[in-house]
Amino acid sequence: MKKKKIVCLAALLPFLLLAVMYELLPLAMVVVDSFRNDVTGKGSLGYYRIVFTKLLYTKAITNSIRISLISALIGIVIAFFGAKAAQEQKGKLGTVFATVMNMVSNFAGIPLAFAYMILLGNAGVMVQFGKAFGISALADFNLYSRNGMSLIYVSFQIPLATLLLMPAFDGVRKEWKEAATMLGAKESVFWRKVGIPVLMPGILSTFSVLFANALAAYATAYALMMNSLSLLPIQIAGCYVGEVKIQKGLGGALSVVMMAIMVLMILLTNALARPFQKGARR
Amino acid sequence: MKEKGRKQNGSAAVLILILIYLLIPLAACIVYSLFADWTGIIPRGFTLEAYRSISMSEAFWQALLETVLLCAAPIAVTILVVLLAIYAVVVYFPGLEKYAQIICMIPYTIQGVILSVSILSLYVGSKSFLSNRLLMLVGAYCVIILPYIYQGIRNSCRAIDMTTLLEAAEMLGSSRLYAFFRVVVPNLMHGIIVSSLLAVGIIFGDYVLVRNLSGSTVTNIQIYLYQAMKSDSMKSSAVFVMIMLVTFLIAALVMAGQSRERKK
Amino acid sequence: MAYIEFHNVKKSFGKNEVLKGITLEVEKGELVTLLGPSGCGKSTLLRCLSGLEEVTEGQIILDGKDITGVEPRKRNIGMVFQHYSLFPNMTVEQNVAFGLKLKKEPVEQIRESVRGILDTVGLAAQAGQYPSQLSGGQQQRAALARALVTRPKVLLLDEPLSAIDALLRHNLQVEIRRIQKELGITAIFVTHDQDEAMVMSDTIHLMYQGRMEQSGTPTQMYTHPATRFAASFIGHYNVLSRKEMETVFGVKTESEMTAFRPEVVSMKGREERGEAPKDAGNCCAAGIVTSGLSHGNILRYTVRCGSVQVDVDALFRSDRIWKEGQEVWLTLAERDCISL
Repeated sequence: MKKKKIVCLAALLPFLLLAVMYELLPLAMVVVDSFRNDVTGKGSLGYYRIVFTKLLYTKAITNSIRISLISALIGIVIAFFGAKAAQEQKGKLGTVFATVMNMVSNFAGIPLAFAYMILLGNAGVMVQFGKAFGISALADFNLYSRNGMSLIYVSFQIPLATLLLMPAFDGVRKEWKEAATMLGAKESVFWRKVGIPVLMPGILSTFSVLFANALAAYATAYALMMNSLSLLPIQIAGCYVGEVKIQKGLGGALSVVMMAIMVLMILLTNALARPFQKGARR
Repeated sequence: MKEKGRKQNGSAAVLILILIYLLIPLAACIVYSLFADWTGIIPRGFTLEAYRSISMSEAFWQALLETVLLCAAPIAVTILVVLLAIYAVVVYFPGLEKYAQIICMIPYTIQGVILSVSILSLYVGSKSFLSNRLLMLVGAYCVIILPYIYQGIRNSCRAIDMTTLLEAAEMLGSSRLYAFFRVVVPNLMHGIIVSSLLAVGIIFGDYVLVRNLSGSTVTNIQIYLYQAMKSDSMKSSAVFVMIMLVTFLIAALVMAGQSRERKK
Repeated sequence: MAYIEFHNVKKSFGKNEVLKGITLEVEKGELVTLLGPSGCGKSTLLRCLSGLEEVTEGQIILDGKDITGVEPRKRNIGMVFQHYSLFPNMTVEQNVAFGLKLKKEPVEQIRESVRGILDTVGLAAQAGQYPSQLSGGQQQRAALARALVTRPKVLLLDEPLSAIDALLRHNLQVEIRRIQKELGITAIFVTHDQDEAMVMSDTIHLMYQGRMEQSGTPTQMYTHPATRFAASFIGHYNVLSRKEMETVFGVKTESEMTAFRPEVVSMKGREERGEAPKDAGNCCAAGIVTSGLSHGNILRYTVRCGSVQVDVDALFRSDRIWKEGQEVWLTLAERDCISL
């Protein structure tokens, strides 16, 4: 039936058009641009040389990786205990916790940065509080630093990580824990020998989502630091927006580096997860 | 059972600590928006002035309106595009499913910054209608919400036997495409609504795409907050509270929808 | 000329040939069953008639017209699916009216037809309910009403009762048969359950591995299986080779294979060195009971006679129950044996 095929092709067309015009083609062009000179159009690795030698950009790469790693690590550890506690706490508190996580998870970017400025900025409420009571940890807290950034990043990582981990905890069967107890295992032994290994693939994939999430986060960092801390997304946007002339090649090279870091992290977490997936049902 | 009680208390403490960590900044903003003076420990001078001032501000309502419009168009387009694509894939090209899946998951991974600059760099120099900034922005929004819409609709497809429903309608004399919109789509409505709400949440919280793509032609609510932040922190606290309320409302609706889905 | 004719219909999915040349005729007003194990091609044959599958080769004729290339929605064929496939967003009434609305019949007439058919299937009280509010049996009645209301030329039923529990299934079998006769509609029923086929059909077509194995009335099929497969699938026949008949029952047969049903064998206790209870026209075999399972009013024994296992059915009577390991004589009348 030729007619059916034509109708189906026509139905598929808008999707393909959208995907090609606003996703695949732009991304492909970014990669192409990064390998050719903006002016002459000749193939060149010059932009990558700049990215890996100029201090501004090497700093951006290391800063971004560092903040992403730290915030993802702290986020996943807290979320692990949070999700575990929510699993044990089936009553009202558990429901409230899950609800708040859901709500707060949508809450990042400019408003989050703003809330932290009110709280811990130079004239922030907590800073005033610290000054009044002589708590120097609060009084001297500098939000506009890498540590300050990490604090904010962690607070948008926790809800996301918790929401991703909670279903995984439902996969740890109560019967396994009971069986382990009957065999004489303590709670901590159960988690070390059974619980965490079972959860590990979920933990690792969540970790890579958190890492990518922090790496690509733009609004929070921009609102807080403007351009005073060099980060990859800020540098990338800087190449295209606000300049007189768009720096396609440099921006492209930075984008490719950022995507490469994401892909590496995904590959790494997948490789680490593999040994834990042996017994998993397929 | 003493041990069990201790464990319960321990886990409750963990949850409460996390809640405090996450909610304190929000609570502080709410309080800040309601008091004229909070330089000491205790806030003083309760007032609703900030809320009165933004409710009178034309710019605020304008920003809110632009945000709503920016939600509506891309969501409607994406839903239609995804529905048609799912129809084609299910009825005629089942082998293409995994490619559609990949295309829909890419935006989830790379996120806003790279997507926005790549679209900008490709079309900004174009002499055709493609260089229209609003069009670029809508296109980018369509792509950024694609993962959520696609996944949401696909998941509700699994709950019904789409192929047999189409066949049943066909045997009763209906064309497949008519049957798809008359018989299948109404049964996907729930998934469509929930994923649209998720998409509203995303577009509502967007700053990157608007900033990078629209130049300065569009001021959505996030841009409005960013601008207000620099001048008047009390007024911006009030804006913040408004954004928070809307975000939470959307999240609550999504959750209500999802729990109904699970019950079914 | 028959009402429905299949001429050498072949269907392949890729390299896998599912229908290997089916030729079949169905008379008007008949209820015909396509019977066979799963994977035999019976559902595919049905779907070829409906148009939901295109035939690879061959020709299908309905009511004198060649419909081989016609779109399914233009064939005017009604179909009931295995899992009902009622439209979940519509009430029973809306489901049934769907086909009529597409035919653009006047509203008043639609309402009347819908009411009539719902009365016939006994669902008048559930007209306003949604499919999820109905039981499995009610859903299947609604699906039946939906398929029948447009007065199709033929009604196709693709294992419509397989998802329904045993007791209700029997009721629905009777019900479907009644409605089919009442409306005088031609129907083709697909099932893998030989009891269901026996109960419902005017004619049974037994299929095996993409071919037509045997066709006939239920009685013919039961009493005169034509092939080894037909014998084992329909009557649970015991099928023994010539050599086995000779060593076990001590008779020389002409044919390669001999088949006999489990219920024609009678069993008798075998005392120490007792004589075989042999009469004229009978043959006997010595065996040991290896198992006895109750199937309601029937006890099915498995008896080992040398290297051969023979199934024997006996009525469930408390004074005559054989235990595992008991030695018995099996007696078989030669006229109950069928040569294959």
